[in-house]
Amino acid sequence: MSALEIRDISKNYGAIETLKGIDIALESGEFLVLLGSSGCGKSTLLNIIAGLAEATSGEVLIGGRSVLGVHPKNRDIAMVFQSYALYPNLTVHRNIGFGLEMRKVPVAERDKAVRDAAKLLQIEPLLDRKPGQLSGGQRQRVAIGRALVRKPQVFLFDEPLSNLDAKLRLEMRTELKRLHQMLQTTVVYVTHDQIEAMTLATRIAVMRDGRIEQLGTPEEIYNYPATLYVAGFVGAPSMNMLQAVVEDGRLAIAGSDVSLPLPAGFRNAAPNGAPVIVGIRPEALRLATGTATEFPLPVEIDVVELTGPELVTTARIGNQRLTACLPPRARVAKGEPCAFTFDEDALRLFDPATGKAFETAR
Amino acid sequence: MSGTWMTTRAWLLMLPLLMVMVAVIGWPLVDTVGLSFTDAKLVGTAGNFVGIDNYTKMLSSSNFSRTLVTTTWFAVASVAIEMVIGVLAALLLNQEFRGRTFLRALMILPWALPTVVNATLWRLIYNPEYGALNGALTQLHLIDAYRSWLGEPGTALAALIIADCWKNFPLVALIALAALQAVPRDITAASLVDGAGPFARFRFVILPYLAGPLMVALVLRTIEAFKVFDIIWVMTRGGPANSTRTLSILVYQEAFSFQRAGSGASLALIVTLLVTVLALAYAALVKKTAGSAT
Ligand SMILES: Nc1ncnc2c1ncn2[C@@H]1O[C@H](COP(=O)(O)OP(=O)(O)OP(=O)(O)O)[C@@H](O)[C@H]1O
Ligand SMILES: [Mg+2]
Repeated sequence: MSALEIRDISKNYGAIETLKGIDIALESGEFLVLLGSSGCGKSTLLNIIAGLAEATSGEVLIGGRSVLGVHPKNRDIAMVFQSYALYPNLTVHRNIGFGLEMRKVPVAERDKAVRDAAKLLQIEPLLDRKPGQLSGGQRQRVAIGRALVRKPQVFLFDEPLSNLDAKLRLEMRTELKRLHQMLQTTVVYVTHDQIEAMTLATRIAVMRDGRIEQLGTPEEIYNYPATLYVAGFVGAPSMNMLQAVVEDGRLAIAGSDVSLPLPAGFRNAAPNGAPVIVGIRPEALRLATGTATEFPLPVEIDVVELTGPELVTTARIGNQRLTACLPPRARVAKGEPCAFTFDEDALRLFDPATGKAFETAR
Repeated sequence: MSGTWMTTRAWLLMLPLLMVMVAVIGWPLVDTVGLSFTDAKLVGTAGNFVGIDNYTKMLSSSNFSRTLVTTTWFAVASVAIEMVIGVLAALLLNQEFRGRTFLRALMILPWALPTVVNATLWRLIYNPEYGALNGALTQLHLIDAYRSWLGEPGTALAALIIADCWKNFPLVALIALAALQAVPRDITAASLVDGAGPFARFRFVILPYLAGPLMVALVLRTIEAFKVFDIIWVMTRGGPANSTRTLSILVYQEAFSFQRAGSGASLALIVTLLVTVLALAYAALVKKTAGSAT
């Protein structure tokens, strides 16, 4: 039995189709991240799971039970919001215990639950304060605490870290990961930050315009993006996409006289003469030093930016652009010709007409 | 250096306004204070200095205490009713339904009407011979015969309070509606997930955002209600049997009907003092309430 099942959910606001048939099934303990750009319908889907919005069609099952028409409070879910959404004139203690208070849980039991959650989140000293006297990070811990005490079947997070500054966001991300590993609860987590998605998720659903573009583990999403959109969305800097044509078992890069051998896995996928898009992650590229390689990409260096851990190098191959993340001490300089290379299995091929990836025999 | 120049310039720029204020507020005020220590009549001689006689007489007169009670009663009742109806109206108009915008605009109408028009309108409604209220109540068999609502001491003040509420509740509703729209959607959603019912939601989610603005509305309305003159003057002139005479009406009668400028001035200053104390007390309260939701 799935902890959470979303069956063919659609949602229209008037004539606008916000969600167009979403299907997801989650096992207990999974951490699903809904990843997508602004306006793709992530919050809408989350609100439908929570019962704060009604689907136009489709069904949500929580713990195997359809929750159609069930009030949010009876859905066995807890939710954490981007704005923290704490009750402004209640103390931290009462904020955390509010759900239990409303459910008439006895005071002693409630107090114990609140203190346990506060301990877990290291906010015990703050219990008597009001939200207005807390920092952003502390507020978010309180909001998480409020969800924790309820011990729900499913946790819903809507961009909980996006109001925090970069350093705090990193800290809270690790904290969330720790909590999830410890509590093994089912989580649906909305974000448009692909690093958050990669680090937290057991599975990622990349959404676009109300559809799920790809649903898979972070490794699958990163290494085997199913579409050009996913390839471009996940990873920073994003995946290089070179236009090319399949010619006699080789990939002729458009606008240059460079051609690469077509990896064996793609032999049957891309027919001769077909235009394709060659995808290579910047981190897969390295400098070809001296000796001849199987996949040489002769380029001319355009811009070199040192970010600290790596040297982000933008280069030109013919009239196309290519970004590479090189080690910080790589010997490259603007205007100089040199050559990149990569491993065969780092190469992805996409059909420019459909945007879909060509399957390899992996 | 530049600081003093800036200050000088600021004073220079404000000078014309200050002069006007001194002329239309400052001087009359000082003059009133001076007048209040004399037995001057409205017309004729300047009057003789009588010390604090006017004040002691006024404060010890039964007219004054009775009027103070009437005024307080009017202010407390009308403001309380306006607050309750205003908030309820705002809660209703904050719901999503068709025609909401139209209703919101419609609601402002009574408040937008000049008081004199409003007062005249209610006089027609209360008319003892052909008033709509009499008509409605007899047809509902709630009363047997037409009554003179404004002509009986027992009902006149209540009738006035209703008229005043009808005119002024939209202001409270408007302020409350604006405050309601500032309640974050997320907190409302969180309270739904947490299982808060309508009352808990009002208490813990809505009220924190409503309290500050409502306090301001309360201050504005109480002070205005305490100074009320026009609606009463048009509808009852303080009658019958002085049952609707408020402090402002008493000031008017003293100074203009009885032409006792000196004692009228002292009464006006007493009212001013009362309102100032009210305002200061409220200001302290507002300071405490404001920011309760931040
Ligand atoms: N109440 C509503 N009425 C009409 N349209 C809405 C409503 N709520 C959302 N939408 C539309 O639905 C689409 C998806 O909104 P949603 O809030 O789910 O996006 P999102 O993926 O969460 O974006 P973000 O990352 O900006 O939060 C948007 O185009 C939005 O304009
Ligand atoms: Mg959103």
